[in-house]
Amino acid sequence: MSNKVDPNLIRELEEFGLKDANKCYNCGNCTAICDLATEENPFPRKLVRYIQLGQREKILKSPEPWLCYYCGDCTTRCPRGADPGETMMVLRRYLTSLYDWTGFSRKFYTSESFEMLAVGVVALLVGLGLLIFHSGPINWVHTDLNSVWPSGDIEKADLVMAAILLFFLGTNVLRCVKIVMGDYFSKVPVGMYMSEMKFMLIHLFTQKQFGKCKDRQQWIVHLAIMTGYASVFLMVVVFVNGLPLGIDWLKFQRGWESLGHRTEYSIFHPIRLIGYYSTFAIMYGTTYALIGRIKKSKPQYKNTHGTDWMFLALLQLTALTGILINFTRLMDKPFPTYAIYVIHMMVAIPMLVLEVPFAKWAHLAYRPVVLMLLRVKARYIAEHEQVKDAALEVTPAL
Amino acid sequence: MDKKIAVYICTGCGIGEALDIEQLSTVATKECKAAVCKNHPNLCSAEGAQIIKDDIANEGVNTLIIGACSPRVMYDVFNFEGTILDRVNLREQVVWSHAPKDEDTQMMAEDYLRMSAARMKSTLPPEPYKPEQEMSTDILVVGGGTTGMTAALEVAKAGYRAVLVEKEDELGGFQKKVSKNVTFPFKDVQANEIQKLISSVTANEKIEVFTGSKIEKLSGGPCVFNAQIKQNGSSSERHIGAVVMAAGWQPYDPEKLEKRFGYGESANVITNVQFEERAKSGKITRPADGKAVKTAAFIQCAGQRDPQHLAYCSAICCFTALKQAIQIKQQDPKSNVFVFYQEMRTPGQGEDFFRKAQQEGVIFVRSQAPEVLTRGSKIAVEAFDELLGDKILLDDVDMVVLATGMVPAAAFGEDFKAKKLDEEPDKKKDEMVASVDSIFMSDILNLEYRQGPELPELKNGFPDSHFICFPYESRRTGIYAAGPVRRPMGIANAIEDATGAAMKAIQCVELTSKGMAVHPRAGDLSYPEFFMQRCTQCKRCTEECPFGAINEDEKGNPLPQPTRCRRCSVCMGACPERIISFSNYSVGMIGDIIKSINVPEEYDEKPRMLVLCCENDAYPALDMIGLRRMTYNAWVRVIPVRCLGSLNLVWVADSLSKGIDGILLLGCRHGENYQCHFVKGSELANIRLSKVKETLDRLVLESERVRFETVAITDYDKLPALLDEYAEKLVEIGPNPYKGY
Repeated sequence: MSNKVDPNLIRELEEFGLKDANKCYNCGNCTAICDLATEENPFPRKLVRYIQLGQREKILKSPEPWLCYYCGDCTTRCPRGADPGETMMVLRRYLTSLYDWTGFSRKFYTSESFEMLAVGVVALLVGLGLLIFHSGPINWVHTDLNSVWPSGDIEKADLVMAAILLFFLGTNVLRCVKIVMGDYFSKVPVGMYMSEMKFMLIHLFTQKQFGKCKDRQQWIVHLAIMTGYASVFLMVVVFVNGLPLGIDWLKFQRGWESLGHRTEYSIFHPIRLIGYYSTFAIMYGTTYALIGRIKKSKPQYKNTHGTDWMFLALLQLTALTGILINFTRLMDKPFPTYAIYVIHMMVAIPMLVLEVPFAKWAHLAYRPVVLMLLRVKARYIAEHEQVKDAALEVTPAL
Repeated sequence: MDKKIAVYICTGCGIGEALDIEQLSTVATKECKAAVCKNHPNLCSAEGAQIIKDDIANEGVNTLIIGACSPRVMYDVFNFEGTILDRVNLREQVVWSHAPKDEDTQMMAEDYLRMSAARMKSTLPPEPYKPEQEMSTDILVVGGGTTGMTAALEVAKAGYRAVLVEKEDELGGFQKKVSKNVTFPFKDVQANEIQKLISSVTANEKIEVFTGSKIEKLSGGPCVFNAQIKQNGSSSERHIGAVVMAAGWQPYDPEKLEKRFGYGESANVITNVQFEERAKSGKITRPADGKAVKTAAFIQCAGQRDPQHLAYCSAICCFTALKQAIQIKQQDPKSNVFVFYQEMRTPGQGEDFFRKAQQEGVIFVRSQAPEVLTRGSKIAVEAFDELLGDKILLDDVDMVVLATGMVPAAAFGEDFKAKKLDEEPDKKKDEMVASVDSIFMSDILNLEYRQGPELPELKNGFPDSHFICFPYESRRTGIYAAGPVRRPMGIANAIEDATGAAMKAIQCVELTSKGMAVHPRAGDLSYPEFFMQRCTQCKRCTEECPFGAINEDEKGNPLPQPTRCRRCSVCMGACPERIISFSNYSVGMIGDIIKSINVPEEYDEKPRMLVLCCENDAYPALDMIGLRRMTYNAWVRVIPVRCLGSLNLVWVADSLSKGIDGILLLGCRHGENYQCHFVKGSELANIRLSKVKETLDRLVLESERVRFETVAITDYDKLPALLDEYAEKLVEIGPNPYKGY
């Protein structure tokens, strides 16, 4: 059965930011230079070839885009200027849109105006929501966010939002698992997936594959953004009211009263320290990436898709407004604090709601999951299929 | 000419230290009867040359023997007008390749001096050939395409007159059919400027243009060609010096292709040439119904690099496909264009054009045997993509373009050899001594040559001589092939080719009008002279001449045409009556040289081996041994010959009766991929040698005493071992029983 060529694929991918894949003459320098390509999962050349030959099915099933961390070595070495690194990035966007069953992701990636509109609408809703739903009496003397938006209520809203996010992200990840595993999806016992969870979590939190690339700075920047973001996420969603249990000393957002007539935790309180770490990490990571993208200083910064700008902008704005809130709180200025808080939420919520299940943040899930799937698949094949082969060899021929 | 011999021995470059110069001088004066014998530590210096010049002026010496370096170097210094001169290669082939101050080395040097004296004894100053007819320097250009017109313009620019003959009614050739072309700097498709070229040709008063014409007959030879040109039923004659043949090419017949190419199965499957015709008429559309082309597939190597069709690569089809693909893309950037290729061959700057096609979005698929599937009006292409490692199917193809190749115009028509065999059924095939060239009667030149009316083919119908060593040369002196008739090429190369061939033609008329030979013995004033009274009409010379220089009359008498001759002396080797000789090269002369070798008696245990070696490859290889200071057996005595094809069997007899123990022939590779400068010389030598072996057996002489080896100039490193091994073999066989008789 021949693999049907779909000549339109290349044009479709252009909507996801593809530019130079047709310049590739398949020499393979990119794959040779890549530190992450393996014999079983070689890339980027193979993927570029799939694109040239319009092989939709093969691309859909490819785990390789998720194995690439975009260090840019391939693009630097490419003798044809075919930018294989960016091609891999485009495929990650494309795959994200294919895994997403709602079709929202595709719109988000292929239309900048839709992207702006979506972010704008969500921001507006958040702003309106915060203005409409607040509890009285508002403390105008001292800064006390709990007097306006009690952390318990925020927590409830957070959990609703998290549930929705998880639903979309989870269903998309499940599709990703089914697609990547193919026939193996039903064959592999659930226990095997479970036993590899640790591997997945290690990769999720260390990004250690990225450390194998030659340019280790990118790994550090990437790790800073990821850990900064993850810790902030934990604090604002999980710990905002001291876990759903309402444990006071674990609350991220605490009122004036419960803090003992203070606006902020003492300087060495873990919540505050973690907050400072994540602020620093996010500011360092996003500033580095933004400057890089403006100056086009590295291959991976040369082609910036609309969603890349949006992602960095929202993240950095979230951090900046967070810093401002911190200052106004420390200075005990109630009104500026409340006002900036609204803006802060208007930036942070759209980023979470839109980016996590449908756009760039989704790779936080896909990457470690796919890494784990490959391990699971290899283990299954090693444990089951080779045994079968061996059994065949032992069985005398009829 | 009264010869007064002078011997000059250079003692520089180590010669003086390695040899006993005094003893050598004694040989010169006593044995060689030199009136003057001098030595100098640096004979090639101005001072050294002045000594010789003074002797010519004051002593009246006119026969010079220079014992110094190889004749392949310093030939400009040792060049004295009004004298005959021979060089004794004491440096490269004696002192640099043998032990210094050694008895055998000394004997070798002395023998070479004696041999040179023997050569000088029978050498006469050459008288340049002057034909009765007045000599023309006009250049005939056959074919009025890009190549022919460029050649004619180049000839005119150099100040010569050109006669341009084109068979079509208009000038322009294939390029007339083409809308856009690809040439330097290979950045994009370019406008075709053939009209400009046509105008500059027609406006040039040094070029006489015949359109709608053909060459009816071309007789004579360089500078004395007579061309009968037929135009509109009337015939005119032009007196011609040399010919540039730029007859062009024809597309390969697509009807002959296998079914997998789909030609004839659908009107939407066309050839690259048909594409050009369609593109010339405007928009590129689907051939069957004129609708837009959304998806196009180019199939490369359709019937090329395939022994069933054209065995070679036509060199232009990759460029053509790229150009046509770009044309489709530029017409509609949304169209899908796929090129299925075996290898993409875009050498040099052509790479930029390949890149251009990629930038336009053309997709390339490497596949050895793509298949065009036609189902009604639908076409699909199925191919094994080598990178994917799997088959792919390209559906809904609107147009398939097949890259059919170039067939040289010279490859059409009946083979003259076959025709001749039919005409002379009594002539047995085994009588043919050497392979006979294929000559297709393609009705281009209509030569009045005994060996056939057109240029002989080298391979695949291309009338080349040896395209690496001697571009533009054909096997007919004074006729130079250029453009796609010589080898497949596009216009970038054709223009270069035309210039090269025009230069060769000019060189030819310049040398020939001075009575000199052309390449590879350019400047040689000698030419073969026939002692006709003793001719037995055996026709061997007329048949074996690799350049068709000798016609014959009805009785079989040779009619030599000296301006066609390349002075290879193959005829001299062919003649059983030994009636062909040159003023400075003859059967008798080489015999005398052999006889001048001092052969020690059997008891001296100093065997002698004669090396008859080709002066073009084997002799320089022997020089290289010296240059690299490698050594070989000093029993060797080397006699350079113009071509091993001039080997006359009497030399073998002379050597053996003289007591020489072994004879080694060093010639060029023959057969396919031959390296012989004279095409068939070493092949003929090999055939002649096979006959001498029978004679040796009859004389109860070991046939191993005569051996033939092929060497290229690059084989110099293997030569010492070969010579040493042969010397050992001769010791094993034992001394020649005829020694001392």
